Amino acid sequence: MVDVSQHELVPDHVLLDPEEVDEVLAEYDVTRTNLPKIKRTDPALPDEAEVGDVVKIVRNSRTTEEAVVYRLVVS
Amino acid sequence: MQTPKVLGGIDFGLMDPETYRDMSATKVITADTYDDDGYPIDMGLMDPRLGVIDPGLECRTCGSHSGSCNGHFGHIELAAPVIHVGFTKLIRRLLRSTCRECGKLALDEAQRDEFRDRYERAQELGDDEHDVLKAAVRQARKASTCPFCGEPQADIKHEKPTTYYEVQDVLSGDYSERIAAAMQPDEEEDDPGTSPQELAEKTDIALDRVNEIMAGEFRPRKEDRRAIEKALDVDLTEEDMNKLMPSDIRDWFEDIPDEDLEVLGIDSEHSRPEWMILTVLPVPPVTTRPSITLDNGQRSEDDLTHKLVDIIRINQRFMENREAGAPQLIIEDLWELLQYHVTTFVDNEISGTPPARHRSGRPLKTLSQRLKGKEGRFRGSLSGKRVNFSARTVISPDPTLSLNEVGVPDRVAKEMTQTLNVTERNVEEARQYVRNGPEAHPGANYVRRPDGRRLKVTEKNCEELAEKVEADWEVNRHLVDGDIVIFNRQPSLHRMSIMAHEVVVMPYKTFRLNTVVCPPYNADFDGDEMNMHALQNEEARAEARVLMRVQEQILSPRFGGNIIGAIQDHISGTYLLTHSNPEFTETQALDLLRATRVDELPEADGVDDEGREYWTGRTLFSELLPDDLSLDFTSSTGDSVLIEDGQLVEGTIDEDAVGAFGGEVVDTLTKEYGETRSRVFINEIASLAMRAIMHFGFSIGIDDESIPPEAEEQVDDAIQSAYDRVQELISTYEAGELESLPGRGVDETLEMKIMQTLGKARDSAGEIADQHFGDDNPAVVMARSGARGSMLNLTQMAGSVGQQAVRGERINRGYEDRTLSHYRENDLSAEAHGFVENSYRGGLTPEEFFFHAMGGREGLVDTAVRTSKSGYLQRRLINALSELEAQYDGTVRDTSGRIVQFEFGEDGTSPVKVSSGEGDGIDVDDIVDRVVDAEFESSDEKERFLGERAPPTNLSEHSGPGLNKASGVESDD
Repeated sequence: MVDVSQHELVPDHVLLDPEEVDEVLAEYDVTRTNLPKIKRTDPALPDEAEVGDVVKIVRNSRTTEEAVVYRLVVS
Repeated sequence: MQTPKVLGGIDFGLMDPETYRDMSATKVITADTYDDDGYPIDMGLMDPRLGVIDPGLECRTCGSHSGSCNGHFGHIELAAPVIHVGFTKLIRRLLRSTCRECGKLALDEAQRDEFRDRYERAQELGDDEHDVLKAAVRQARKASTCPFCGEPQADIKHEKPTTYYEVQDVLSGDYSERIAAAMQPDEEEDDPGTSPQELAEKTDIALDRVNEIMAGEFRPRKEDRRAIEKALDVDLTEEDMNKLMPSDIRDWFEDIPDEDLEVLGIDSEHSRPEWMILTVLPVPPVTTRPSITLDNGQRSEDDLTHKLVDIIRINQRFMENREAGAPQLIIEDLWELLQYHVTTFVDNEISGTPPARHRSGRPLKTLSQRLKGKEGRFRGSLSGKRVNFSARTVISPDPTLSLNEVGVPDRVAKEMTQTLNVTERNVEEARQYVRNGPEAHPGANYVRRPDGRRLKVTEKNCEELAEKVEADWEVNRHLVDGDIVIFNRQPSLHRMSIMAHEVVVMPYKTFRLNTVVCPPYNADFDGDEMNMHALQNEEARAEARVLMRVQEQILSPRFGGNIIGAIQDHISGTYLLTHSNPEFTETQALDLLRATRVDELPEADGVDDEGREYWTGRTLFSELLPDDLSLDFTSSTGDSVLIEDGQLVEGTIDEDAVGAFGGEVVDTLTKEYGETRSRVFINEIASLAMRAIMHFGFSIGIDDESIPPEAEEQVDDAIQSAYDRVQELISTYEAGELESLPGRGVDETLEMKIMQTLGKARDSAGEIADQHFGDDNPAVVMARSGARGSMLNLTQMAGSVGQQAVRGERINRGYEDRTLSHYRENDLSAEAHGFVENSYRGGLTPEEFFFHAMGGREGLVDTAVRTSKSGYLQRRLINALSELEAQYDGTVRDTSGRIVQFEFGEDGTSPVKVSSGEGDGIDVDDIVDRVVDAEFESSDEKERFLGERAPPTNLSEHSGPGLNKASGVESDD
C-alpha cells in the first residue's frame, strides 16, 4: 500500500499539543470549531490523530515560501 | 407606528392560524369585489379595511391615505383544512418518521439523543444539518412498529403534489381463487400441480386448515400466508391504499411532542407542524394586488385577486354542500378542488398540476412566481434595482480628455442634477444657478425650501425664485465640469468595470472617454453604450473620488500590473518614435510635445548637415519621464531598453514598456511615483504617441501584404514539398509500413504526422514571406510592437492560411468517406481535408473557402458557448465567495467567523502593492537604498550612517586575523 503521507506533494501534518492548540486559538481569537476542518479518515493525517485534535500543516505556497494552516480533525 | 432602526435578529417560522386571525383586518366572505356603483363591497376582496389604492380615499383600518398605508391582511376561514404546497416534502418526512397512532418519533430514546447530538454537532461545525435530519428520518422509517405504543407502521406514499396514502400489504379478497389457480397442473409448462396434502406438508399447516383456506372460509394469518406464497410461488396480497385527508394529517401532527420535533430540526416554539396544514388563509392586502382601471373605464383585477375569487367560490360551495349533506364523493371532489386553488394561489408552477390560467390562456402569476427567478422580488427588485440619476448613451473616443474625465452631453448635464446645500458662503453661486433656469447650461431644475417643499425652477419663475434662495435651501443644480460621476459598462465583470470620472460637459449626444480606459471597461466604439450615475451626497462623492477614480484603478488586483496604458496606435506611435530613433527639427519636436505639459525643449542632441539643431525621438520620449527614473528590461520587440535618470538611453518603447496589461514603465511609475504621476504620464504618452503616428503617417492596405513573385514561388515550392512528404507518408501507410507512435494507432499516427508536416509548411511559408517584408511595413510594425496582430496573422495574409481544423483534427466530416464530392473516397491528401494552400491576399479556392468557413464556425460557436458557461460559473463563484472578508488580523473569514485563510493570499499582501513580474517580489536592497536616500540629506551623513563602525580601541596584538599569538601565526588557508 502506498503511504500517501510520504508523498512529496503531501505537506507535513503535525499534531499539536493541547497547550499549542490553546496558543493558536488565542492568537486568532477563535473557537476550535471556527478552524478549517479535516476528516479523521484523511490519509495525510498521522495515525494517532483523533477527532477533536488540531493539526498544523506547513505547505509550500505560490505566494510565500511556506504557508501554515491549522485544521480541526472531525469525524 | 415607529419604524425600528436596529434589527436584533430575525426568526423564521410557521405562522399559527390564530395569529392569522388576530392580524386580520376583516374576514372575507364574498367573492365579489365592487358593487354596481363601483364601491368596494364589505367583507369582499377589496374591502376598504384591507388598505386603499385609490388616491383620496381613507383606509378604514389605520385612517391614512393611499401611499402612506401599506395595507392590512384579511383572512378566509377555509371550510376544510388543506395542505400548504411549500411544505409537502417536510410533511412527507414527518409522516414517515412519526407514529400514526401516538405521534411520537419512531426512534428509541438512545437513538433520538444520538441524532440530536449529531444535529448540534453539525451546526457547530458548519456541516449540512440536512444530512443528519435525513439520516434520522431514514432510521425512523425503518421501524415496522412504534417503539412506544407498538402500533404497526404503514409506509407513506406521496403522490405529488399534495396527496398522501398509507400503504399496507393486506390479504387479497380472492386469495382462495389465486391458490387454486396456482395448484392447478399446467401441462404446457410441465407443471404437475400441487395437491392439498403436498401443500400442507410444505407449509406445515394442518390439512383441514388448508382445505378451509382453499374454500375461502378461513383467512390465513400472516405467517401462513407467507408460507403458502413461498410454496406456490404466488402473490396473495394487494396493496391497500388509504388516503390521508389533510384533516387526518393535522390531527396526526398535533400529537407529535415538542422534544421529538427538535430532533427533526423543527423549533416547536415558532413552528408547530400542524400549522403546515392551512385552516385559515391570509388574504394579502389590496396594495399587493392593486386593480388597474383600463382606458374604457373597466376595472382589471390582479392575478392574485382572481385566484382569491376562485378560492372563496369553492370554499362557499364546499360549505353549502356539506351542510346540505351531500354524498362523500362530492365532498371529496370539492375538497380536492379547494386544495388545487390554494395550491396554485401559492405556486402556479408545480409539476404534475396544470397551472391555473387567465381567461386569455396566460398562466396566472401567483405568490411564488412573484418571488422566484431573475425577474422575481429578490433578484429583480431587491438585489438589483432600477435607479434615478442615471444616464445611458453611446460612447465615442476623445483623446484630448484626461483618462480621469468623461465627456457628458450637455443635454444629459441639464437633466441630471447634484444637490447643492446653500450656505452663507455659496448663496450667490446658488442664486446664479437658479437664475440661469432649467434651460441654460449651468442652471438648476429644482429648489427645496427648509420646510421641505420642492419647487420646480421654470423659465418663468427662475429670476423671482433666485432672489428667494437663502442659506439652508437646497438647489438641484446641473452637472458642471469637475463633478464626479460613476461610469459603468456591462458586463461588470471586475471592479474596474465601474469607475468614477470627472465630468466635462460637451456638445452632441455621446459620452466621450479617453481611449486608454478602453481595456478596463473592455469597451470599443462600434456602438457600445455606457451608463453614468450622478452621486447624490457628499459622502458618496468623497468616497468615489478617493476610491473609485480611474487613476486609482491603474493597477489591476488580478495580476498586480497596470491595466490602463497605451493601446493600439499609441504603441505603434511610440514604436515609430523610438525604434530607429529618428531626428526632429525644432518645429517638429515642439509639435510632438505640444499636448503635454512640456513647454521647453531640452538641449539639442546635435546639429544636422545643414546646421540646424535636431532632437531624437528617444530624447522627446524621455521628456515625459520623471528625472530620477532608472529601469532596464527587454521590450516585446526584442531589444533591451535602458532608462537612466529619466533618459531613454537605448531600446524601443513598445507594448512591454507602456502598454496596458503590464507595461514596465507605467507599472513602476504607478508603484513608485504614485497614481497621479502615472495618470499624467499615461495621458501624455497617449498624446505624444498620437502626434508621432500622425507625423510619420500610418496606414495599411492590401499591397502591404504582397510579396515579390520570386518569394511567392518559394512559398509554392515549400508547400509543394510538404505535399510530397504527405504523399510519401500516405504511401507508406497504404503499404502498411508506417510505424505507429507509442500509445497511438496507425491511423492516428498518420494524421498526426500529416498535421505536423502541414503545420511546418505553413510556418516556412510564413518565414519566407517574413523575409520579404521591410522593417517599416506597417503590419510588421504593429506585430512587432505588440500594437495589434501577430506574425501568424501576417503569415496567413501573405504566405498560406494553413490547415483548417474542427475539434482539433483535420476536417473529416461531410459525405461518406470524403469531405466533399470534389474528392475521391478515402482520399487522405492535404487538400481533401481542409489544408488551405493560398493566402488571404491571394484568395482562396471555393473548396478552401468552404473548409475555412467550417473552421471559422467552430470558433464562433466556441466563443458563444464559453461566454454563457463562464458567466454562470462566475455567478456561482461570486455567490460562494461573497461573504468572505479579510479581517484586520490578516485572516480571511466568513460571516460566521470561520477561518478560510490564516493569512490573506497566504502572504498577507495585496497584489497591487507588490512589484509585479516573476522576480523575488521584494527587492530589499532597492528599498533600503530608497529609505536611506530619503532619510539623509547630504551624502556625508548617509555615508556615516551606512559606514559607521566604532573605531577599534586598545587593539591588542592578540586580536585580529593572523595575529593570534596565543596559538601561533595562522596560515592563510
